[in-house]
Amino acid sequence: MSEEAGKIPKPLMRGMLHSQIKRNLIITGINCILAGCYMKFIFGNGRKAKYAEFYKNYDIDKEFERMRVKGLFDSCDPLEESDD
Amino acid sequence: MATWKSLLLQDSASPLMEQLSFFHDHTLLILVIITILVGQMMMGLFFNKYTHRYLLEGQLIELIWTILPAITLIFIALPSLRLIYILDETINPLISIKTIGHQWYWSYEYSDFKNIEFDSYLIPQTDMKNSSFRLLDVDNRMTIPYLSQVRMLISAADVIHSWTIPSLGVKVDATPGRLNQVSFTSNRTGLMFGQCSEICGANHSFMPIVVESISPKYFIKWISTMIEI
Repeated sequence: MSEEAGKIPKPLMRGMLHSQIKRNLIITGINCILAGCYMKFIFGNGRKAKYAEFYKNYDIDKEFERMRVKGLFDSCDPLEESDD
Repeated sequence: MATWKSLLLQDSASPLMEQLSFFHDHTLLILVIITILVGQMMMGLFFNKYTHRYLLEGQLIELIWTILPAITLIFIALPSLRLIYILDETINPLISIKTIGHQWYWSYEYSDFKNIEFDSYLIPQTDMKNSSFRLLDVDNRMTIPYLSQVRMLISAADVIHSWTIPSLGVKVDATPGRLNQVSFTSNRTGLMFGQCSEICGANHSFMPIVVESISPKYFIKWISTMIEI
């Protein structure tokens, strides 16, 4: 009887659920970290940056005049000359 | 104002609403992490072929899923408390305006200036212009000066209403027999819209609020005009 030929490695017999759970937990953990980083650095900080950018060059009086002459405000006469 | 595709909060027009918006982003971050965690666990269950036939208890997992939510709640609670105290700060207002909720309109009183009072009704669809916003525009808008602290005193004459302007981060119940106070400032000029937020009868959806945030100089002119009327 040849014992050398036909020898196959011992197949995985046990612990399959355990290893699957471990693998799933690691993948889930990585996905959670990636999602958290996206929400914090891209979504959240992006919104803060947009607000900062908006207010950096925001001239409120100029914007008000622009809207006033278009007649958007009921309380202000659009035809009145600006005093500035 | 909100448009048809608005999913999240409206753009902020006041510093407090900005802080509320950032807090919302922070809480959404935590919710997204929890959703991905739970969602992925459930997907794993869909594709699973193994069973632990002798499973009776899991002390470690029980400990983890008790401690982890407690830590998560602390991450939400601490910024929330910070914001609550910021919202409650008293800053000396420049002007006080009263608003009274009625069925089904709002009335505004500027008692600082010779008792200016007016009612604010929804503009019906038959009287709308092409440029009007349907079910949002009113005949007499509330006017405030921008970059100035405004104190609102809110009450009601009949049933409970709620005075709301989402872009300013204001929502206050108008309760008959009670005077509620809120303070805000507008960082931007323009029109800000809101709707009654407490069920008050048949026309609850048809008593909107419009605030005009204008230059203090023009605000004084408007006050003078209103006094003459």
